[in-house]
Amino acid sequence: MIDDLLHIFYPRSYTLSNGKVVKEKFNWAPYITIIVIIFSLLCAKITGVKLSVLRDRGYQFFVMLKQMIPPNWSFWADVKKPMLDTIIMSVLGTVFGCLLGLPISFYLSNNFKLNKYYMAVHRGLLSVLRTLPTMIYASLISLVIGTGTLAGTISIAIFTYTICVKMLYEQIETIDMGPYEAMESTGASRVQCMINAAYPQVRGYFWSTVLYCFETNVRSAAILGYVGAGGIGVQINTQLRWRAYANTGLILFVLVITVVVIETVSREIRKKLVQG
Amino acid sequence: MTEKTYTVDGQLRKFPSPLPKFLIELAAIVVIYFLANYTLDFSSINDKGLKIAVAALKGLLHPSIELITRMDSSGLLYMLMETLAIAFLGTIIGIVLALPLAFLSSRNIAPRWVNYICLTIISIIRAFPAFMYGIMFVRVTSLGAYAGVLTMAVSSIGMLAKLLIEAIEDMNPGINEALDASGCSAFEKIRYGIIPQLSSNIISIVIYRLDINVKNASILGVVGAGGIGASLIFSIGKQAWDEVGAMLFGLVVLVLVLEYFSTRIRKKLAVGE
Repeated sequence: MIDDLLHIFYPRSYTLSNGKVVKEKFNWAPYITIIVIIFSLLCAKITGVKLSVLRDRGYQFFVMLKQMIPPNWSFWADVKKPMLDTIIMSVLGTVFGCLLGLPISFYLSNNFKLNKYYMAVHRGLLSVLRTLPTMIYASLISLVIGTGTLAGTISIAIFTYTICVKMLYEQIETIDMGPYEAMESTGASRVQCMINAAYPQVRGYFWSTVLYCFETNVRSAAILGYVGAGGIGVQINTQLRWRAYANTGLILFVLVITVVVIETVSREIRKKLVQG
Repeated sequence: MTEKTYTVDGQLRKFPSPLPKFLIELAAIVVIYFLANYTLDFSSINDKGLKIAVAALKGLLHPSIELITRMDSSGLLYMLMETLAIAFLGTIIGIVLALPLAFLSSRNIAPRWVNYICLTIISIIRAFPAFMYGIMFVRVTSLGAYAGVLTMAVSSIGMLAKLLIEAIEDMNPGINEALDASGCSAFEKIRYGIIPQLSSNIISIVIYRLDINVKNASILGVVGAGGIGASLIFSIGKQAWDEVGAMLFGLVVLVLVLEYFSTRIRKKLAVGE
C-alpha cells in the first residue's frame, strides 16, 4: 500500500526474465500538483483569503442583488443618454483604431520586406502598450484633455489599435504572395499592390477583427466612467455612492442586455465572414 | 464560332461600378460625423492639459527608483506580488468552479437538458461585467485583495468553461469505449481515459487565462478590490508621475515576462515534447 503511494512520485522498474530492467515513463504530474497547491496556499496567505469570511458574510453578495430587483424603471430617462454615449464611444474608438491599424499592419508584417528596424521598434512598442488595459489610458488621457467622452474614445482607439494591428499582421503574414508578385511585375507601385493584391485576401478577417474589437470595447467601456472618461460608468459610480440600488439595477439590466445583444449579433456576423 | 475580341475598354467596363462602394463609404463618413457630433465634447480641452502631459511624460521616463526598491508592503515589488497572487488564486478557483460546469455542459458527457441548464448558468455569469462582481464582493469581504480573488474567480468562469467545453467535446470516444470493453471501473476510466486526454488542454487554458487575469487585475483596484490598480489610480489622481512611471514599468515587465513564458509553455503543450 505505502509502496503503491510512493510509486506516484517515482517510476516503477520491472526486471524481465532475461535480466533486462524496464522503467515506467517518468510522471511530472504529482510534482506539478504539489507545487500548484503550495503556491495557492502562499497566495491565499498574501491575499488574506479566509473561507470563514465567505461562510459568515457570503449572504452580503445577494443583499445588493436583492435591492436591485425590481429595477427602478422610471430611471430610464437618465440612463438612455450615457448608455448611447458608451456605445458610440466604442463605435468611434473601434473605427478610428482599426482604420489607423489597417495600413500600419501591412508595414509591420514581415513578408513585404520593409524596413526591419522600424518594424522591430514599432512591434516592441505595441507589445508594451498592449499590456495596459483601456482604463489606464483613460485615466491618463482624461487628465490631459479633460474628463468626458472624448478621453474615453481616444483611449479605446489606442487600445483597439494595439490589438487590431497585432491580429492583422499575424494574418497578413499567412497570405499567398503570388498575386502580389504578379502585380509588382506589371509595374504597379507597392501601395497599389497592397491594396489590390494583399488586402482582398484579409478583407473578411479585417472586418471580423473590427467586430471582435467592438465587442470587447463595449464590455470594457462601461468601466471607463469610473476614471472620468464618460459613458455609463459615471452613472454607476454616482448611483452606487448614493446607495440607489434600484437605479443601479436598471443600469446593470440595460448594460447586460446591450452587451449580450451586441455580442450575439457580432458573433453571428463573424461566423459568416470567416466562412465567406 | 466567332472569335471573342478583348479590348482594354471592354474589360474595364466588365468591372463592377465603383459608385455603390463610394456611396457606402460616404454614408459611413456621414454617420460617424453625426455620432461624433452627438457624443464628443471638445470643450474640455484647455491649455492646462499640455502642462500635465509634459509633466506626465517626464515622470514616466524617470520612474521613482525609491518605490521600486522599497521592500515593505507599500513598495512596488509587494504590489506586483499581490497582483500576481490575486490573478493566480483567482484562476485556480475559477478552473475548479468551471470544470464541473464544463463537464455538465458537454454533449458527450451529460444528457441534453443538463447541458442547457449549465450553459444558461454560464452565460448568466458571463453577462455581468467583472467590476460589478468586484463591487458586490467588496461588500462581502471588505476592501482588499480577497475581494479581488473572488472577482477574478467568478469572472474567469465564462471563458474557462467555454474553452473547456470545446476540449471535452473534442475527446476521442474510442478510448473510453476501449476501457469500457476491457472492464475498467468509472474511476479507472477517468484516470486512464479522460485525464491524459485533457490535462495538457486544461493546463494550457489555465495559463492563457492567468495571462489575461494579470492584465485585468489592475482594473480591480478601481472598485477597491486590491492589486496594483488602486495605488496606480491614486497616484495618477494626485499626479505623482514618478510613482506612476515606476508602477507602469513594473506592470509592463510583469505582463511581458508572463506572456513570454505562457506562450512558450502553451506552444510546448500544443506540439508535445
